[in-house]
Amino acid sequence: MRHALTANRLSDGEVVFWSGADWVGAFAEARLYDSEAEARAAEAKARGEVTRVIDPYLIEVAAMAGRDAPVSFRERIRALGPSNRPDHGKQAQGGEAVRALALAEGAARSSGRTALIRRK
Amino acid sequence: MYRQDDIDAAFLADRTAEFRGQVMRRLAGELTEEQFKPLRLINGLYLQLHAYMLRIAIPYGTLNPTQLRTLARIARDYDRGYGHFTTRTNLQLHWIRLADAPDILDELAQVGLHAIQTSGNVVRNITADPYAGASADEIDDSRVWAEAIRQWSTLHPEFSYLPRKFKIAVTASPADRAATRIYDIGLRLYRDAEGELAFEVGVGGGLGRTPHLGATIRQRLPVRHLMSYLQAILRVYNLHGRRDNLHKARIKILVAQLGIEAFAREVDAEWEASDKAADLPLDELARIRAGFLPQGLTPLPAVSRRLEAAKADSRALARFARRNLAPHKVPGHAIVHISLKAIGATPGDCSAEQMETVASLAERYSQSEVRVAYDQNLILPHVRLDDVPEVFAGLEAAGLATPNIGLVSDIIACPGLDYCALANARAIPIAQEIARRFSDPVEAEAVGELKIKISGCINACGHHHVGHIGILGVDKKGEEFYQLTLGGSGGAPGEGEAAIGQILGPALPFARVAPAVGDLVAAYLAARQDGESFIDTVRRAGLAPFKAAVYADAHPL
Amino acid sequence: MPMLIRFEGGQARAAADPYQALDDADPLPVAGDVVVSLARLLTEGAALAARSGRLGVRLGPAEDVLALKPFAGRLDLIALELPKFRDGRAYSQARLARERLGFTGELRAVGEALVEQALILVRCGFDAVTPADGSAPEAWAAATRRYRHVYQRAADARDPASAERLRAPKVGQGA
Repeated sequence: MRHALTANRLSDGEVVFWSGADWVGAFAEARLYDSEAEARAAEAKARGEVTRVIDPYLIEVAAMAGRDAPVSFRERIRALGPSNRPDHGKQAQGGEAVRALALAEGAARSSGRTALIRRK
Repeated sequence: MYRQDDIDAAFLADRTAEFRGQVMRRLAGELTEEQFKPLRLINGLYLQLHAYMLRIAIPYGTLNPTQLRTLARIARDYDRGYGHFTTRTNLQLHWIRLADAPDILDELAQVGLHAIQTSGNVVRNITADPYAGASADEIDDSRVWAEAIRQWSTLHPEFSYLPRKFKIAVTASPADRAATRIYDIGLRLYRDAEGELAFEVGVGGGLGRTPHLGATIRQRLPVRHLMSYLQAILRVYNLHGRRDNLHKARIKILVAQLGIEAFAREVDAEWEASDKAADLPLDELARIRAGFLPQGLTPLPAVSRRLEAAKADSRALARFARRNLAPHKVPGHAIVHISLKAIGATPGDCSAEQMETVASLAERYSQSEVRVAYDQNLILPHVRLDDVPEVFAGLEAAGLATPNIGLVSDIIACPGLDYCALANARAIPIAQEIARRFSDPVEAEAVGELKIKISGCINACGHHHVGHIGILGVDKKGEEFYQLTLGGSGGAPGEGEAAIGQILGPALPFARVAPAVGDLVAAYLAARQDGESFIDTVRRAGLAPFKAAVYADAHPL
Repeated sequence: MPMLIRFEGGQARAAADPYQALDDADPLPVAGDVVVSLARLLTEGAALAARSGRLGVRLGPAEDVLALKPFAGRLDLIALELPKFRDGRAYSQARLARERLGFTGELRAVGEALVEQALILVRCGFDAVTPADGSAPEAWAAATRRYRHVYQRAADARDPASAERLRAPKVGQGA
C-alpha cells in the first residue's frame, strides 16, 4: 500500500498534501511513498512544522479506475470538497484529475488513515 | 428582546481582545496546537475537514434584523455567502480562516453576538422555546431564564473545565418545544398550587453513544433559587463526573451510575450547605425581563378576511398556511415558520441573500424578531394574519416558503462527512435523496407528520435517536453505512412522550437508505388506522411490519 | 524546582517556597514548614498540629476538601493539584475550601497550571500557583486583569455585573 502525507494548513485550515518539497493543495501533486519508512520519516518531520500545518498524518493510496486515489471515502471528500456543494472546495477547479478522483470508489477496505486521529 | 448594555459590550470587547492575542501567539508559534485548541474551541472555532468552522451562538434562538444582516455580511465577506443553522440554534460558518476569526468576533460583538462557549467542556448555548413570547400556552417567557443562565454561565470560573460539554434547555409551557428531556439539565417552568412560578428540574438527558432521557431531580424549585441550584448540580458533576473516559464523561453517565435518588441527595446536600449568593437579585431578573416584555400587539379578528380570500385564490398559499403557521397568543396573529428545507437543499443552510430577505420581512411584518428553531428552520414569531400573503410572497421569491414543516421532507441533518472531522458518513445527501422522493407536496401532506433525523456519527448532532425515523451513519471498513431507528420522539406536541428510537435491523448501504424510507412510509400508510400519525402507528404496531417492509427482499448483508 | 507565584492586591510576585514536601514515610522534621498528604494529616493530625512550623496539605483532585474541616483553622497552606490543565476539579475544591471551610491561608495550584487559567484560578480563591508553562509573574498579573466585568459571584471579592448594574442603575444601552 502506498501512502501520501496530508494535513490542514494552520492559517486557513485548507487541506494540503506534501509534494516532497512543499505543501500543496491538489492531491494530484502529492508525493506518493512506496516505502512506509520514508513516509513515516516525512510525517515525523512535518510534525515539527507547527506554524505551518496541523496534525499531519499519512493516508493510504491505491489505484482506482486506473488512477491513484485515497483509499477512504473520507479522504476523497477532503481531497475534493463537500459532495453537496460541487462549487466549493478543491473540486470547484474541475479538471481531469478532479473528475478521476470523484469517480474513484469501491476499493475502500480500511479507514484509510494509518493512525486514526479523531479531532475537532 | 434583550439588548446588551455597556457592561455586556465591554465584556465582549475584552473577550475578543483576549482571543486575538491567543491567535497571534498561535500563529507565531508561542502556543502549541495542543494548548491553543481548547482556547479556540471555547471561542467556537473548530478545525473541520476543509477549513476552520466558526459556530456562532444564537442565544435562545432569538435574532433581530440588524444581527441577521450582520451574519449575512460576515458570511459574504469572510465565508462563501452562506451559513448553516444547527439543532442547537447556532449558526455555523464552514470556510473560515484562522487569522480572520478575531475580526469576525469583533464584528459580531458590535451587534451583541458572540461565539463564546459554543464548544468545549463548558455550559453551552442555552436553548429556549422557539415560540417564547408568542404562544398562548406559555406560563412565562422562557428566554428570560435562558438569558439569566447565559450570563451566569459565561466564563464561569468554577465550571470552565467540566468533565464534558453541558447543555441546558428551558421551557415555560406544558408543551415541550425545547426537547428538554434530552438535555443535561432540562428546566420546565410551571405555576404551582399557590400560583408561584417554580421549575421542575430534569437532569441526565443526552444523546450520543449512550442515549438517556433526563429524570426529574426536583419536582419544585422556587425560581429565585435557580442559579444556586444549578451551581449545586454543576459542582457535584464537576467533582464526581468521570474524567477517565471521554465516552463516559457526560452527566447522564454519573446520574445513571449513582441512580437519580442518590444523585439528587448529593445535589441537595450541596445546595443546602451553600449560601445562596449565586442566586440572581430580583432587580437583575426584572432588568432582564424588561427586555422581553410583550410586544403590545393589537388583537385583531381571529379570522382574517384578507388572508382567507388570498388562500381561496392560491392553492400554494393555502398549503403554506396549513403547514407553516402556528397559533399566536394574540388573536389575528400567527407564528410563521420559514422552511430551510427546500426540496434538494442542504437542511439548515441559508444564503446571505436569504438572511437579508428574512431580516427585511421581520422588520416589516414581525416586530423585528426572528427565531432559529431546533428543527433547523427559522420563525417569524409575530405576524398579522392580514400580512401573511405578503410574507408568503417574500419568502417564496427567496426559496424559503416550502410548505413542509413537520413533514417527511422537513429533515434534520448534521453536516456529516461532507464537512465534519468527526463524522463517519454523509448526512446531507441522504436528506436530499429522501426529500426528492417526497417532493410532491400533496403526497407529503397525505403522509402527514413524520420527523426524520439524520446523524453522520454516534455523536448524534442530528438527534437521530429521537427521530420518528432516525438514521445514523456508520463506517464499515471505510464505506458509508446507515443504521435505521424507529419510534424516537423529542417529546414535542403531537409526538407523545419523549422516547429513544429502536434499531430496525442491519445497517444499509448509502444507495438503499432513501428507498428504505420509502418502504417505511408505504408500510405506515398500509397499517395506519383512523388517520393516526406515523409515530402513533409505530407505537401501536411495533417494529414488525416496518422490518418486513425494509428487509423483505434483503439479500444477506 | 518550579517557581512559586503569589497573588496579592492585583499583583503577582515570584516568591520563595518555604515549605518542605514530605512523603508519607518521611520522618517529621523537628522544625520548619511542611506539606503533607491528606492521609498523613488525617492520621498524624495531632502531632502535625503541635509542631511549631507552618503546616500545609496537598490534595489530589479526587480527595474531599471538606475532610479538612477539623484542621481548617490550623492549616497555613492547601495545595490543590491540577493533574491536567483540562481537569477542573480543583476549582470546585478551591471554592469549597474558601467558602465552605472559611479557609484564609494560602491556596496554591500545583501541577498543570497554565497562565491562560490565571483569572479562573484567582476567581476560585487561589492566591498562589506554581506555573507549569514557565510563564512570568507579569503575564499572570496581566491575565487576571483581562476582563473589566464578570457575570457571577465566586470566591474572590469581585462584584458581578448584576451588582454593578444596581450601583449604576442608569447604565447606558448599547447596540
